[in-house]
Amino acid sequence: MQSGALKHERDVREAYAAHAGELYGFALRSLGDAGLAEEAVQETFLRAWRAGDRFDPQIGSLRTWLFAILRNVVIDLGRARAVRPKVAEGGVEPAVEPIDDALLAWQMEEAMRQIGEQHRQVLVETYYRGRPYAEVAAELGVPEGTVKSRVYYALRALRVVLEEMGYEE
Amino acid sequence: MRSERCREWREQLGAYTLGHLSDEERAGLKAHLEGCPECRAEADSLGSLARLLPHADPSRFGPAPVPPSGLADRVAAAIGAERRAGERRRRVRLGLALSGATAAVAAAVLAIFVISDGGGSSPEQHVAFRDLPSGVKIAATLEPHAYGTEIRMYVSGVRSGTLCRVFLRGPNGGGVPAGTFRYRWGEDSQAVLSSALDISRTVAVVVRAGPRTFTAPVGHSDSAAIDNDPEEDTT
Repeated sequence: MQSGALKHERDVREAYAAHAGELYGFALRSLGDAGLAEEAVQETFLRAWRAGDRFDPQIGSLRTWLFAILRNVVIDLGRARAVRPKVAEGGVEPAVEPIDDALLAWQMEEAMRQIGEQHRQVLVETYYRGRPYAEVAAELGVPEGTVKSRVYYALRALRVVLEEMGYEE
Repeated sequence: MRSERCREWREQLGAYTLGHLSDEERAGLKAHLEGCPECRAEADSLGSLARLLPHADPSRFGPAPVPPSGLADRVAAAIGAERRAGERRRRVRLGLALSGATAAVAAAVLAIFVISDGGGSSPEQHVAFRDLPSGVKIAATLEPHAYGTEIRMYVSGVRSGTLCRVFLRGPNGGGVPAGTFRYRWGEDSQAVLSSALDISRTVAVVVRAGPRTFTAPVGHSDSAAIDNDPEEDTT
């Protein structure tokens, strides 16, 4: 796509084909409602279309730009939905996951999907389920040392995927 | 990595970072890290990564959700509608710019801009009102919808405050109301109305502006000349 992309409806269709899956995934993750997520994706492409000539591929990727738009759309939709009254006592407000936490969570989950099955499996069993290495090793039919080294290579794979996704610490 | 020995230490760094090593294993690894800056750097990097792990919800590691199959078409349709709306706005600005011209010149220019704006692929239909009193300009654009027909009226040159009532006439002569608007001089002279009559059954647009009635044929035979084809225009 050349400079000033998204000038033509054809460009939008191409951008949709390339990025709608991820955008929808994040919208659904943060809004928790398929209908709202759909609305968010549609609004994102509409805003991108309106601002199409402001997109500069020299500055960043189309994916990053679309995610920045979606982030704002999700905030707007979340605000529109959160019209319920605040909890007054003690100044405690309803717990709503802040947008950047949701984006981070989605990125981590997307990265987990992208690393290999074996890598994901050892992280799920040892870290998220907290199971002993010996037990996991027996179940997988491999030596305990193999589970341990797999955990190391799984974290390295995760780091590579996150870097490719543009994650910065 | 300096040696085979380093590789063995490194392969423990994952479990170390996640706090999964026994006290004894951890003590051994720590001693190595003291003397090995490369392994220490790797341990630090994995440490920051490990701090992100709690943000992910393992119940969501399954296949990514797929957008509904119709969404691509809905996005394309929304953008198409937006593009057409933008074109209409440009058209109205052009129409307003003409309001100072004499009636004869304006009528000719109006016919030209209606013609040049047809676009061919758009389902919109442009309707021109002829034989208008000097200084009065009326045009309409019809667009088919599931509910009937959307009518965009452009009026200028009638007395400010004039109540305009709009009808679509069907094939057997009856008029289906499309609503009313009041013409204000100096304001945007566009009004958007709708009627339940299907565009394919519409034979004429009727505008009652105060005591006067203006009628323009729609369609298919005689106004086709002013829709798209400048060759046949006779204004």
